[in-house]
Amino acid sequence: MSILACNGGAVLAMRGRGCVAIAADRRFGIQAQTVSTDCQRIFPMGQRLLLGLAGLATDVQSVAQRLKFRLNLYELKEGRQIKPQTFMSMVSNLLYERRFGPYYAEPVIAGLDPVSLEPFICSLDLIGCPMVTQDFVLSGTCSEQMYGMCESLWEPDMEPEHLFETISQAMLNAVDRDAISGMGVVVHVIEKDKITTRTLKARMD
Amino acid sequence: MAVEFDGGVVIGADSRTTTGAYIANRVTDKLTPVHDRIFCCRSGSAADTQAVADAVAYQLAFHSVELEEPPRVRTAARLFQQSCYRYREELSAGIIVAGWDPRRGGQVYVVPMGGLLLRQPFAVGGSGSSYIYGFLDATFQPGMSRSQCQEFVARALALAMVRDGSSGGVIRLAAITEEGVERTVLAGSDLPWGDGGPPV
Repeated sequence: MSILACNGGAVLAMRGRGCVAIAADRRFGIQAQTVSTDCQRIFPMGQRLLLGLAGLATDVQSVAQRLKFRLNLYELKEGRQIKPQTFMSMVSNLLYERRFGPYYAEPVIAGLDPVSLEPFICSLDLIGCPMVTQDFVLSGTCSEQMYGMCESLWEPDMEPEHLFETISQAMLNAVDRDAISGMGVVVHVIEKDKITTRTLKARMD
Repeated sequence: MAVEFDGGVVIGADSRTTTGAYIANRVTDKLTPVHDRIFCCRSGSAADTQAVADAVAYQLAFHSVELEEPPRVRTAARLFQQSCYRYREELSAGIIVAGWDPRRGGQVYVVPMGGLLLRQPFAVGGSGSSYIYGFLDATFQPGMSRSQCQEFVARALALAMVRDGSSGGVIRLAAITEEGVERTVLAGSDLPWGDGGPPV
């Protein structure tokens, strides 16, 4: 089996009007066996910045931890919150350092600029190639299913409530067609004054 | 899986077919009739099991006409076993044959990969079965009633569907007795633990 498909999992982020949302499934498995249903794939990296990672579970944790380390030093030295675009470059650098023996994790970043509150989403491949889009970004074992859902459901300038419903439906129906993703979905919606976190009632098979 | 009770059998299966990790069919019917009161539960390669089941259904229909009475469940199981053993190197088929006949009542026979034939009070197969052997051994009681068997099968399948990625969808049940075959489907909130979700 492909290394990126050993543990399974999926992450998805969408952009709305003045807000972003990021969602991930909760399954941790080893090939076909489900080991737990409370795996964390989305990590807070700033007051309005979340990082989601899909791929090999050990590398998901390692990358998130090492990134947080670098981010903490950045914030101490700079005395301010990092911009999402700069954070993207930090992630890219960390991954490319391992160009010929990479971390098997593909990140997705969602956040608001600390000053202008402009929404930002991007994704990177496992060796750090960044891609910024204006609609949605995703990674995981059911990426094709998620692409199909997002292309049909996404529309521009969605308000936070509508964005939540859209990302939820995209995620739920995509993971339900993947044998190694699912077992619950967690969704974070980042607005200028709050982050709302909800756990969806999902199929547990 | 299949369980015998006094007067018939209860059989059940999940409804997921995968090609790799993609769920090609989430509402598959893995309970296949090979005669009026004889069903088989198919696991392994869908192509292989469908082909063998079709061949056995034909052979049984012919045999039943010659015999001028309903075929025995043991005969159906033996026909499966002949094909599964002869072509054991080529096939990937784990089959449970279960049904009712006038001679011996409800019977369950298992024909796992390799082609052995064994009668059991209850039988399980498929990738998800590994996760529920403990539950089955702890919960099974000989002499259960039809509805107890149905609950036993539903709980076992639900637990397997949570843990095994290749299992899922809905639970299809069938109760086979002298009177006939009664099929039911358990989906979503019908599952044994209701809306609360499984323990894990």
